[in-house]
Amino acid sequence: MLNIKNLNKKYGKFQAVSDLNLEVPEGEIFGFVGPNGAGKTTTMKIICGLLRATTGEITLDGVDVIRNNKRIKEKIGYMPDFFGVYDDLKVSEYLEFYASIYNIKGQEKKKITDDLLELVDLSHKREAYVDSLSRGMKQRLCLARSLVHNPRLLVLDEPASGMDPRARVEMKEILRNLKGMGKTIIISSHILPELAELCTSIGIIDKGRIVISGSVEEIMQQVYSKKVIKLKVRDKIDDAVMILKEYPFIDKLVSRGDTIQAGFEGGDEDMSRVLSALVTRGIPVVSFAQLDGNLEDVFMKVTKGDDEQ
Amino acid sequence: MNINPVLLKELKVRMRGWRAAGIIALYLLILSLVALFIMYTNFMNPYSSTIDPQVSIGAYTGLAVIQFILIMFIVPALTAGAIAGEREKQTLDLVLCTKLRPISIITGKLFASTSQTLLLIIATLPLFSTVFLFGGISIKEIIQLFGFYIVTAVTIGCIGIFYSTFLKKTTAATVFTYGTVAFLAFGTIFIGIFYLRIFYQWNYQNYLPILYSNPLAGFSSLLAGQLGYSGMGLDSILGFYIGNSANNPKAVKTIDPWLANVIFDAVLSVVLIILSAIKINPVRRSIFSFLRFKRKAKKAVSDNV
Repeated sequence: MLNIKNLNKKYGKFQAVSDLNLEVPEGEIFGFVGPNGAGKTTTMKIICGLLRATTGEITLDGVDVIRNNKRIKEKIGYMPDFFGVYDDLKVSEYLEFYASIYNIKGQEKKKITDDLLELVDLSHKREAYVDSLSRGMKQRLCLARSLVHNPRLLVLDEPASGMDPRARVEMKEILRNLKGMGKTIIISSHILPELAELCTSIGIIDKGRIVISGSVEEIMQQVYSKKVIKLKVRDKIDDAVMILKEYPFIDKLVSRGDTIQAGFEGGDEDMSRVLSALVTRGIPVVSFAQLDGNLEDVFMKVTKGDDEQ
Repeated sequence: MNINPVLLKELKVRMRGWRAAGIIALYLLILSLVALFIMYTNFMNPYSSTIDPQVSIGAYTGLAVIQFILIMFIVPALTAGAIAGEREKQTLDLVLCTKLRPISIITGKLFASTSQTLLLIIATLPLFSTVFLFGGISIKEIIQLFGFYIVTAVTIGCIGIFYSTFLKKTTAATVFTYGTVAFLAFGTIFIGIFYLRIFYQWNYQNYLPILYSNPLAGFSSLLAGQLGYSGMGLDSILGFYIGNSANNPKAVKTIDPWLANVIFDAVLSVVLIILSAIKINPVRRSIFSFLRFKRKAKKAVSDNV
């Protein structure tokens, strides 16, 4: 659905995003993880037409985002990481204002406002002034605002930042509902575990580059195992998985197509033992390798948790 | 009919609470006191009869001048925060990422602040109507005067919006807006004086074109044309002296200074609105990108060699 090709963004001499490539299929919840200042917000703003990319191309359903700015904006709902609300405006009026921007009128406007308030659990606050809401409520309201025009793609920049644990749980619940509605969601965070249970796939970004991206299982395994081995077989992949499972130092197996990825906590000797066992038991191994370990730094940052903020 | 959503929201917010009512009350209080003072002093004048058109003309001029000066003071305060304030409150991105066109955001903001001024101006109509009591002023003249007010208010509003989009901070935008209004009102006169002093030794017989941009000169020429009088104390203010066709008869030959001022205001407003709309669009192509591209191409060629 969303396709980013060779995206670059420079602020003067500072390269905020460099050669970023990304594909988010329809219906996915894509988690965008990286330490603060890695380029998440910049990328998201470019997707939403709030920043101009230096070079690169972004297409949504095959339509160029930058050239067809106005048409694209109807399909994207954006929630920034920092945002303000207007004083002297009531919750329902706030949503109605954004609805009227999209030419939603009369009864329909009222219905959408009611539905959205119910979705984000703010129905009881509809007559309250926006600036009197708590932070968590404001964030939920902002999420509702981004949904006013029923967009297909949601871009949420750290929607749970600064929330207390209970509010986080509520936010996750709402996002799960949205997933059920078939929305494609891009959501960012600087904490990997926060996204892991919600997302279908994850990309980790550092210093403007995507370090790694893939399904949640793959990423989690690479992050939490000390070493990761990846092997490719010509055939008999199920047998290979069975054999690997016999070893106690191998865990978090993920197999896809003809490749298997697994966490590995043994030494070099153990590794050669595993390989010879596979070969002697007739598995046609094409390649067997330990994955690069230099992701550690990034992983340290993205798994450390909240204390960074 | 589709009303600009930004305008609608702004009006709702601006009119809410005591602030709007307070501003109107204070504004009317000031003007009423002025009117009262002028009438009182005229009535107390032992040489004037009780019903004297001179009283109404005095009251009309006084009210008109004070209101004009108040507009020049109030509009910058109401508009300079329009965009910069949204940026400071971090609400601008939320509007920009919607499908709303940049020009609609700008005009919505502009008309919201202008209509607040408009409300102030219209609220003073009853005060102005007291001059009918004594005669000497017609409805046409009042309409003309209020039209000029509105044009001036919109223009100053555009100046405020312009600085609000180009400068990040509300304070800076406010200072620059007041500065620009002061320049138009007084700076142009000083430039004119220097020009006349240096090149003509005061023998210049025409209306200086630079003064067409001066709202004070335009305003005084309007008043002078309406009342057909010269002097009455106001001539000691330079803008009034220059704008008064009685002092400067050749000025009126080509075009009335106030009309020229209205045209100048209209052109300036349109230009400023367009510039603001271009500036506020986050994905606009920079005006200089064309040059940069050229340079890059040149560099690529030289690199290949």
